[in-house]
Amino acid sequence: MFCYELKKVLSKVSSRIALVVLLTALLIVSFLAITSVSYTKSDGSSVSGTSAADSLRQEKEKWTGYITEDVLRQVITENTAVNQSPEYQSDNVTDNNIAYSRKQGFSDIRELINMAFSGFQDYDYYRVDSVTADEVGELYGKRVENLREWLYSDEISDTFTESEKQYLIQEYEKMDTPLYYTYADGWKALLEYAPTLIMLTVLVTGFLVSGIFPGEFSLKADSVYFSSRYGRNRGVRAKIAAGFCLQTALYWTTMLLYTGIVLFSLGAEGGECAVQTWLGGWKSFYNITLFQDYALTLIGGYAGELFILSLSMLISAKTRSAVLASALPFIVLFVPSILSSVNVLSKLLGLLPDQLLQISTVINTFNLYQIGGIVMGAVPLLFVLYPVLFVLMLPGTYFVYSKAEIK
Amino acid sequence: MELRMKELTRQFGGFTAVDHISLTMTNGVYGLLGVNGAGKTTLMRMICTLLQPTEGEILFNGQNIFKMDADYRKILGYLPQEFGFYPEFTVKDYLFYIAALKGLRPAVARKRVKELIIRTGLSKYTGRKMKKLSGGIKRRAGIAQAMLNDPKILVLDEPTAGLDPNERIRFRNLISELSEERLVLLSTHIVSDVEYIAGEILLMKDGALIRQGTADELIRSMTEKVWLCRVEKSAVPALMKNYKVSNIRTGTHGTELRIISEKSPVPGSVMEEAALEDVFLHYFGEKGGNNDVLL
Repeated sequence: MFCYELKKVLSKVSSRIALVVLLTALLIVSFLAITSVSYTKSDGSSVSGTSAADSLRQEKEKWTGYITEDVLRQVITENTAVNQSPEYQSDNVTDNNIAYSRKQGFSDIRELINMAFSGFQDYDYYRVDSVTADEVGELYGKRVENLREWLYSDEISDTFTESEKQYLIQEYEKMDTPLYYTYADGWKALLEYAPTLIMLTVLVTGFLVSGIFPGEFSLKADSVYFSSRYGRNRGVRAKIAAGFCLQTALYWTTMLLYTGIVLFSLGAEGGECAVQTWLGGWKSFYNITLFQDYALTLIGGYAGELFILSLSMLISAKTRSAVLASALPFIVLFVPSILSSVNVLSKLLGLLPDQLLQISTVINTFNLYQIGGIVMGAVPLLFVLYPVLFVLMLPGTYFVYSKAEIK
Repeated sequence: MELRMKELTRQFGGFTAVDHISLTMTNGVYGLLGVNGAGKTTLMRMICTLLQPTEGEILFNGQNIFKMDADYRKILGYLPQEFGFYPEFTVKDYLFYIAALKGLRPAVARKRVKELIIRTGLSKYTGRKMKKLSGGIKRRAGIAQAMLNDPKILVLDEPTAGLDPNERIRFRNLISELSEERLVLLSTHIVSDVEYIAGEILLMKDGALIRQGTADELIRSMTEKVWLCRVEKSAVPALMKNYKVSNIRTGTHGTELRIISEKSPVPGSVMEEAALEDVFLHYFGEKGGNNDVLL
């Protein structure tokens, strides 16, 4: 029965088109991720993609190691030296690019200095140019100090409770210093584009599974189906299993192919670096590595997909409408972004299922929740809440469908 | 084996589709006759556990069929009026899928599918997609699926609707062959479908069973007589308005009408032997040329 349920879905022309769309999305997103890595050559010209990654790796690996005070001073020295070169001071763009090409190896560390010395809510690309070798060693301290200043500023003082503020400061202080650094552009590119691909996978898979339950009604095969011996028990379980397996197979095939293509092209090293070693993760209060961040992104995406699509299957079983079921993922994914400007809803929006599809973004946001006096970020809550709801929904779908009446 | 309905009622909002039907059926072919909207399909859907009754119950050998659940459906075969299928499945795929739904073990399923493909004349079509089959061949696949589990109760809802005369005769013969040692409930509004094969005929009107018996018993139950009369063409509209007319034949010497009436409708009318079609008209027909009565 299970195989026939899969065959029902996959034999449709529309399903095959959806699979081609997913494959195309995978290739486009992989291409965008790979070409997001660029390298400026010594003559000022730029390349992107695999060859850029190779050249960039050579430059950045020179800075592999812990970002100690000495390393930070060295960055200041090198940065100052480049700034004093005629190419940097020239008004010619190509000359400026030539100067930048000499900064690429330490550009990530340079950005950390910019972030630490610009203030919590500000960013100044040239801030590093005015940081002295004597003060750059305060980088890690500045990170905590900036947070504390921001938390107690008039601007947001009411946003967090005192225990939430203390929690954030503690998590910042828990970060292992000095940070370990090496070339990790493959992971960074993966993290940047993964949410887009996860969302596209959810939408396409949603379209595929939306017809599993209403199909019997729309094809008028319901009478034979429900009057059969297993039409109200094993048959329903086979449908649920087919939906689950389709979701699982398509999600993991797509995401593992994406991971393989991008890491093969850009390099898999650097996964052990903390998320705070790059501009996008510097402010995160989650003390995890890039590899852990990506693993959470994948698992979160899977949990989110299971929840959203199972909800869509439950609705389709109840309403007997594939249209509503395939529209649900769009609603779940896009309505929160419309509501995101409403501050009052920010806590609620932080716990909606779309957040699971973008864990790499969520780990950089300050959504905090207090349960029984324990403060925690959104990530652990999301990882408990939606798998539980998913498990609770399965018997609901089974019950609704197995009791269907044919009027 | 006994299938018993006790005060069976089904309402949809304020509309009563099946109204306190009590009936006992055993082995044999039962023809359920009634005009469209009489409640035949609703009754059959309740017998097939697709609809819960609002009142009353259906007992199979003394047990409530809804409580028996899968144990009851195990002995049930159903060909619905609107027989849906999976368009991309081949006939073979379809039959194997339904066999799995009916809980047949793979070896048994292979044997039954093979047997029924031959019996229903589907051998040439096994590899063809369901969506590419003609109406008659689809119906054959429909009866094959209904028979896969060798059901003790076979419910056929308007099985010949939309078939050409050849296919209808073929289908009727097939049902007749399949009816041994089981209870077959055949619903139709086409009298000739049940005339030859049904042992017992049930007449259903406005949700209620108004009469049951063999074809002869039903014919004898008629309180009106059947008359054959020849009239001028100009007299036909008046006769149609005032009598139940089961047949009109126009020839060179005037128009011949078959009329159901207690008394002779026009002088010179000849009394004819009643047929089941006349019974249908007697119970369901309306004066004035209702389309259903002309079938």
